Amino acid sequence: MKMARIKARLLACTAVAAGLLSWGVAAAQAEICGRKGGDLVFGMEAKLSTLDQHVNAANATRNVAMNIFETLMTRDENMAPVLDLADSLDISQDGKTYTFKLRPGVKFHNGKPLTSADVAGSFARYKRIGIDRSALDAIDRWETPDDATFRIILKEPRATFLESISASTVPIVIVPADQSNAEPTQLKPIGTGPFELVEFVADSHVKVKRFDGYVPNKSLKGISGFAGQKEACLDTVTFRTLAEPGARTAALETGEVQIVEDVPTLSRERLSKNKDIKVVQLDYAGLNLTYPNFSQAPTDNLKVRQAILASLNMEDIMDAASDGAFSLNPSFQFPGQTYYSEAGSQLYNQNNPEKAKALLKEAGYKGEKVVLLTTRDIPRAYTTALVMSEQMKAAGINAELLVLDWPTALGMSVNDTKGWNFFFTTWITVTAQGGAQSLRNLADPSNVHKPVGNKSDEDFMEQFRILSSSPDLEKRKEAFAKAQARVFDQVMAIPFGAIPKIQATRANVEGYIPFFNTRVSNVWLKQ
Amino acid sequence: MTLVTDMAGAAALVERRSFWKNRTVRRLLRHRSFMIGMALCLLVTVLAVLAPVISPFDPARMSIRNRFQLPSGTYWLGTDNLGRDIFSRIAWGARFSLAIGLGVVLLNAVFGVLLGALAGYYRRLDGILMRLADALMAFPSVLLAIGIAAAMGPSAMTAVISLAVVYIPRTARILRSSVLVVKEMEYVQASIGAGAHDIQILCRHILPNCMAPLIVQLSFVFAYAVLSEAVLSFLGLGSAPSVPSWGMMIAEGRSYIREAAWLTIFPGVAIAVTVLGLNLLGDGLRDVLDPRVKLHD
Amino acid sequence: MLAYALRRIAQAVPILFLVSLISFGIMQLVPGDPAAMLAGPNATPAELAQLRQNLGLDRSFLVQLGIFYGNLLHGDLGHSLILGQPVLETVIERSPISISLAIYSLVLTILFGISIGMVAAMRHNRILDQIAMVIALIGVSVPNFWLGLVMIVLFSVQLGWLPTGGYVPFTEDPLGWLRAATMPAVAMALMQIGLLARLTRSTMLEILGQDYIRTARAKGLRETTIIVRHAMSNVLMPIVTVIGMILSVLLSGSVIVETIFAVPGIGALLGNAILARDYPMIQGGLLFVASALLLLNIAVDLIYAWLDPRVRLQ
Repeated sequence: MKMARIKARLLACTAVAAGLLSWGVAAAQAEICGRKGGDLVFGMEAKLSTLDQHVNAANATRNVAMNIFETLMTRDENMAPVLDLADSLDISQDGKTYTFKLRPGVKFHNGKPLTSADVAGSFARYKRIGIDRSALDAIDRWETPDDATFRIILKEPRATFLESISASTVPIVIVPADQSNAEPTQLKPIGTGPFELVEFVADSHVKVKRFDGYVPNKSLKGISGFAGQKEACLDTVTFRTLAEPGARTAALETGEVQIVEDVPTLSRERLSKNKDIKVVQLDYAGLNLTYPNFSQAPTDNLKVRQAILASLNMEDIMDAASDGAFSLNPSFQFPGQTYYSEAGSQLYNQNNPEKAKALLKEAGYKGEKVVLLTTRDIPRAYTTALVMSEQMKAAGINAELLVLDWPTALGMSVNDTKGWNFFFTTWITVTAQGGAQSLRNLADPSNVHKPVGNKSDEDFMEQFRILSSSPDLEKRKEAFAKAQARVFDQVMAIPFGAIPKIQATRANVEGYIPFFNTRVSNVWLKQ
Repeated sequence: MTLVTDMAGAAALVERRSFWKNRTVRRLLRHRSFMIGMALCLLVTVLAVLAPVISPFDPARMSIRNRFQLPSGTYWLGTDNLGRDIFSRIAWGARFSLAIGLGVVLLNAVFGVLLGALAGYYRRLDGILMRLADALMAFPSVLLAIGIAAAMGPSAMTAVISLAVVYIPRTARILRSSVLVVKEMEYVQASIGAGAHDIQILCRHILPNCMAPLIVQLSFVFAYAVLSEAVLSFLGLGSAPSVPSWGMMIAEGRSYIREAAWLTIFPGVAIAVTVLGLNLLGDGLRDVLDPRVKLHD
Repeated sequence: MLAYALRRIAQAVPILFLVSLISFGIMQLVPGDPAAMLAGPNATPAELAQLRQNLGLDRSFLVQLGIFYGNLLHGDLGHSLILGQPVLETVIERSPISISLAIYSLVLTILFGISIGMVAAMRHNRILDQIAMVIALIGVSVPNFWLGLVMIVLFSVQLGWLPTGGYVPFTEDPLGWLRAATMPAVAMALMQIGLLARLTRSTMLEILGQDYIRTARAKGLRETTIIVRHAMSNVLMPIVTVIGMILSVLLSGSVIVETIFAVPGIGALLGNAILARDYPMIQGGLLFVASALLLLNIAVDLIYAWLDPRVRLQ
C-alpha cells in the first residue's frame, strides 16, 4: 500500500525536532521557566466533581484534567488538530488507515512507559463509555503492530476524522491499559501530563505537583493549545473552587490565589488599575445562544420563528447579559477560525419590530404563548432570556419566561418536545471545535431543536454532509457558509454574540496565557 | 433553626383564662418591644399593601442605560444590574415575603392544630403522628425545604408548601403538649365523664385553652418563614422570576457586591427589619401570654 | 438507664425507615435528568437512553426502592452518580469538616450566648440589658447567607484579616483552620447565639425571682456568690437541652454558609446533590445525617436524664 506521509503544519516535524534536541533542551528550559519552584493556587468558578475525563464534559474537569492527561491528538492554540502523544501520523492513500507512531520515552505518572496497548485500552474505554463516543463510530478496528505503533482502520474514508478524535470537549485522554475496564467516574487519574495528582476533594479542591518523569513534546515551540512543549515550572498547583464571584476576585486581591477565572465585567476595570494584578482576556470564548423548539407551537411555524429573529436587538441583549463585555458575532464560528463566515448575517441583529409584526400577521399568529426556558443558575442565560422576552413583547409576541434550576431546565430541553419554545445556553467548546462540530447539534441524530421525527432540515443536512465528509477544505468551508445561511433562514438556532473569558493573575505570575481551558504548564512565579 | 419544642415550656404556656381579655390587650399595648415590633411589621405591611401605589417604577422595567445607578432622588435605593429600580423591587418583594409568611402561618394554624389536637387527644393516633413528625424533623430543615421546592418548581405555592412541611411538625408538637396538659384538667375530665362528644370537648374546652402557646409559636413561624423563603429564593427555588423577592435580589446582586454593594445591602436590610419586627412581636406576645416569666413586674 | 437508652434507640428505627422513604419519595418527584447533566452537549437521544439505563434510572420506583433497601442491609448506601464515589465513604469523608465547624460554632454560641444572656439578666432592665437584647435580636433576624457575603467583603477584602473561604483540616494546620473556619462559624453561630442569649436571660430571670434566691439575698450574700452557688446549676438544666438542639442544627451543616464560604462539608454536599439530582447521594446522605442527628438527640436525652433523675421515671 502506498502511504502518504502527512506533514502539515498541524503535524509533528520529527526530523527538525530531533535536530533541535541536541542543544534545545537546556536553552528551552531557561526560556520556558524563568524560575522553577513555588506553589500556585488557581481560583475556579465551578465545582469539580470528577477527574474522569472520558465521562465528563464539564469545563471544571478539563481545567484540571488537561494538565494531568494528554491525548494522541488534540487542538492547538487556534483549535486546529495537532499531534501530541504521537510523533507522526501516516494516512493511507485510500484515506482509511491512520498509523500513529508514539512519542518515545513517554511515561505515565506510575512510572510505566506509554505503549500502543495503553492507547488501545483508552480508545476501548472511550468507545464503551466515553461521552462523545460517536466520534469513534467511523472506526472499523484498531491494531497495535508494535509497542510504538497504533493503527486505526476506518470503515470508509472520512475527511473530518482527525477533527473528531482531536476534539477537546471530552478528549480521549490516554490512560494506562489496566484502566480500560474502569467504570464511569472510576478512572484512576494517572496520565502522562506534566502534573500528577496529589489530592482531590470533590467540590473543594484538587492539588497537583510536578511530574518529574515528564517528557515534553518538542515538536512545537512552547505551548500551543492543549499541545506543544509543556513544562511544569511550579512545584504544586492547587485548583480551588471559589464559586462566589466576589470572594473569588477578593481572594486574588488579597493574594490568597494567584490566578482566577471568570472575573465579573464590573471588577475588570478595578482590577486592571491594581498594580499587583494583571487582567488577561480571551476575547472570543463562548457563543451566547438560544435555539427554538420545532415541535411546539407556535415555534413550529417558520414565519413565527422568523418574526422572533427579526424582533431582536443583539446589542442590547449582549450588553445586559455580559454587563457590557461582548462582541457581536453573526456566525457559529468566531473570527479567525478556519470556518468563520458571515453568510446569512443579514438576518442577524435586525432589530425590526415592524417586520416582525408583518411576519406574524402572515403566520396567522394569534397571541399564542412563547415559553423561554432558562435558568437562574447561569446568570447570562437568565438575563438573555429576560431581555429577549421584553424585545419580543415589544413586537407583539406573547413571550413568557420559564425559569427552572439547571438540571430541570436542561433535562426538559433534552427530553421533552413540549412545554418550551426556546432554550438558552452558551456554546463554548461546541463553537471552539470548528465547523462541523459547531453545527453538529443541529444535525441528525443529535438535533437539539427537536425537528419532527428527529429529522433535521434536508437542505441543511446536505451541506452538513459535505462539511463533515469532503476531503477538500474549500468545499467544506463553502458548505459551512451555506449551512449557516440555512440555519439563519430557518431559524434553527439564534446566536446573540460572543462573550470573552476574563481572567486575572497576580503581577508575579509569568507565562500564563488564557485559553478555553486552564493551562498551568510553563507558568512560573517571579520572585 | 430551633423552635420551642420542649413539653414543659409549652405546657407552662397553657392558661385557664381566655387570651382575649382586655387586660391582655392593655398589657400588650404597654409592652415596649411588642409595640416596636408592631411598628416595624406595620411599616413592612404598608410597603407591601401600597406597593403598586408608592413604587416609582414598574419593578420589572429594565433600563440598561441606567444600570448600577447609586441611590438618588430618582432611584431612591439605586438601580440594579439591569437598571431596575431597587426601591420598587423591595416594595413588591415585601408583598411576596409577607404573602409567603402568611401562607405558611395559615397552613401551620390549620394542620398544626389538626394534627396536634388529634395526636394529643387520641392516644392511638399519637404514636403514628408523632413518629411521622419525628421523621420530618430528623431532616435538616433547609435541605428538606430545598428538596420539596426542587420537586415542585419555583413558585409562591412551592415556597409556602415546602416551608409549611418543615414547620407543621413543630407546631403540631407544641399543640399536642398543650392538649395533653389541658386534657387532664378536672373540668375537661368532667365533661368527658359526662359523655360529651369528642369534637365538642376539643373545640369548646381544650383548644381555646391552647391558644396562647399557638399564637406565640405562629409568630415565630412567621419570622422563620420569611427568613427561609429568602434562602429558597436565594437558591432560585422560591419565587417565580416575574415576582421580585428579597432573597432573589441578593442572589442577583452578589456578583456585584464589590462594585455595587447596594444591590445586596438593601434587600438584606429589608429581610432583617421584617424578621426583627416579627421577633419583637413574638417576644411581646410571649411575655404577656406566658405566666411563667414575669419580665415586666 | 440502659433500658431507657435501648428503648430510645428502638424507637429511632421506624423513624429512620420513614426518613428513607420520604427522601426517596421526594427525589422521585423531582424533575430533571442526571443523565442529561452527565452526557454533555453533544449527546444523541440514543446515548442518553443508554446512559440512563447504565445508571439504573429507567427502572421503576419500586425496583429502585427495593435495590436501595437491599443494599442498605449490606451497609451499602450506593454510589454517587456525579462523584463516582461510594456515598457512605464520601459522607464519612466530609463529616469531620462539618463537625469541626459545628463544634467551633457551638463553642462560640455557648461562650457568647450564655454570657450575653447572663449579663442581660444581671443588669435586668438597665442599659446593658437593652444592648445585649438588641444584639441577640439582630442575631436571630439577620439572614446568615447575607451576613456571610457582607463579612467576606468586610473582613477579607477591605481589611484582609481572614481568607475568603475554603477549608484547612485542623490536624494539618490548626491556625489555618481557625482562620478559614472563623467566618463560616460566626455566620452559623449568630442566630444560635441570639436564641441562647434570650433563653439564658429568661431562665436566669425566672430563677433569680424565686424564693430561695430571695432568701439568699436577704442573708446578705454577694450577688456573684448567689449566681455561681445557687442559680447556675438550675440555669444549666434547660440550657443543656437547647444546646443539644443547637448542635443538631449546626451539625446538619448549613447548606448556604458552606456554599458561600466554599467549605466542602455535608451541607454543601447534600445541597449540591439535590441541585444536581444525584439520587443515591441524596438518599444515602440524608439517611446518614438523620441517623446521626437522632443518635445525638438520644445522647442529649440521656445526659438530661442523668442530670435530672425525674426524667427517667416518665
